[in-house]
Amino acid sequence: MAAATETDQFPCVLTVQVPFPTTRLASVALQSLQVDKELSPLVRRTFTISPPVSDADTTSDQEKTLHVEYRATTNRMLRVAVNSFMESLNLVIEVMEHLDADVLAAEAHSS
Amino acid sequence: MAPLYALGCEGSANKLGIGVISHDPETNKTKILSNIRHTFVSPPGTGFLPKDTAAHHRAHFVSVAREALRAAKLSSPKDLSCICYTRGPGMGAPSRASPSRRAPCHIEMGRVITGADNPVVLYVSGGNTQVIAYAEQRYRIFGETLDIAVGNCIDRFARTLAIPNDPFPGYNVEQLAKKAFFKADGTTKREPILLDLPYAVKGMDCSFSGILGAADLLAAQMRKQDAILAGGGETVFAMLVEITERAMAHVGSKQVLVVGGVGCNERLQEMMGLMARDRGGSVYATDERFCIDNGIMIGLAGLLAWETGFRTPFEDSTCTQRFRTDEVHIKWRTD
Repeated sequence: MAAATETDQFPCVLTVQVPFPTTRLASVALQSLQVDKELSPLVRRTFTISPPVSDADTTSDQEKTLHVEYRATTNRMLRVAVNSFMESLNLVIEVMEHLDADVLAAEAHSS
Repeated sequence: MAPLYALGCEGSANKLGIGVISHDPETNKTKILSNIRHTFVSPPGTGFLPKDTAAHHRAHFVSVAREALRAAKLSSPKDLSCICYTRGPGMGAPSRASPSRRAPCHIEMGRVITGADNPVVLYVSGGNTQVIAYAEQRYRIFGETLDIAVGNCIDRFARTLAIPNDPFPGYNVEQLAKKAFFKADGTTKREPILLDLPYAVKGMDCSFSGILGAADLLAAQMRKQDAILAGGGETVFAMLVEITERAMAHVGSKQVLVVGGVGCNERLQEMMGLMARDRGGSVYATDERFCIDNGIMIGLAGLLAWETGFRTPFEDSTCTQRFRTDEVHIKWRTD
């Protein structure tokens, strides 16, 4: 019943799937994106990682996909929320590319 | 014990500043390893909008951070004890980037740079105008603006006159205002003609919106920009000196520390110096590297808090637009 009202109130849905090469990077992305709360009451979002992260594989190199599901009352709200999410995602990935500990270490070696 | 290192990030207004600072808890020695800043400069006649500022910070964050780390010459980012960021106050959108609050950060930086140990602090910037003194592990607000900040007053008047925002409006205003102190030949000194502007000190507080309104009216009537700027400067700085002097008399301090972006105005420093000298004291001020929002002040306050055991779990690392100076527990000072 609760699920039905959720779909009624937030009919516009978009799921963004972002593949990451390792579990660590996927978890880092999830944590950094989740910390900024969704400001609009007209938008709901949920984060999941698949396949699910278990305690055992936090250091493994298994590929993981970050699923971000956005639900909004109108398509306009959905567009605004997803656009802003994309900007944050872009920064997170840029930071991973240039400022991760292993990237900086590799750079220090080559220079 | 080896010194501790911190990376500080500040981006709660139109400047993105990142720096690395070290502090040795045993010797209390502080060392600045890097201090990189990139400013979002909006076209003349316009202010910086949150959306554009956020886009600027996102675009430059990685390059500024890399430069700060490279200039600091740390062997590995793993040497950093903590990463500190500005929790507030500031604009919501750009802040998204151990949280610190800007006023204590400015104050700690000023104390380290100038060596003033327990001054009355005038914190003057685009968003803040406060007279602050330390008492029992809080920076307490003695007086403040009742409406807009003094820096906001200056910036908005600069916008009225379409004065360029590069490097920052306050600097250009200061250079223009200086002209009023010289005759037309540019070398002979003279007393500037002071225009009649409201002088709004109310007890320990002051107000700047009326002065801005009056200056806007004058600007519409006359062309002598330097006279209006000089008159406005003399008036608002006199107000600030007055409330600072009252706070000094109250707490019995002979030191004044001027921090925040407006603090690099040399005329304000000079007027404050005259007042402090009359009281047998002195004024401490820093230059634009440390006055204006920067990463290392955030790093320093964050690192001092870290040393007293302050930690922020990742899921609590949020930002807020409202954060009062006296909300912060200054655990690292014991005097």
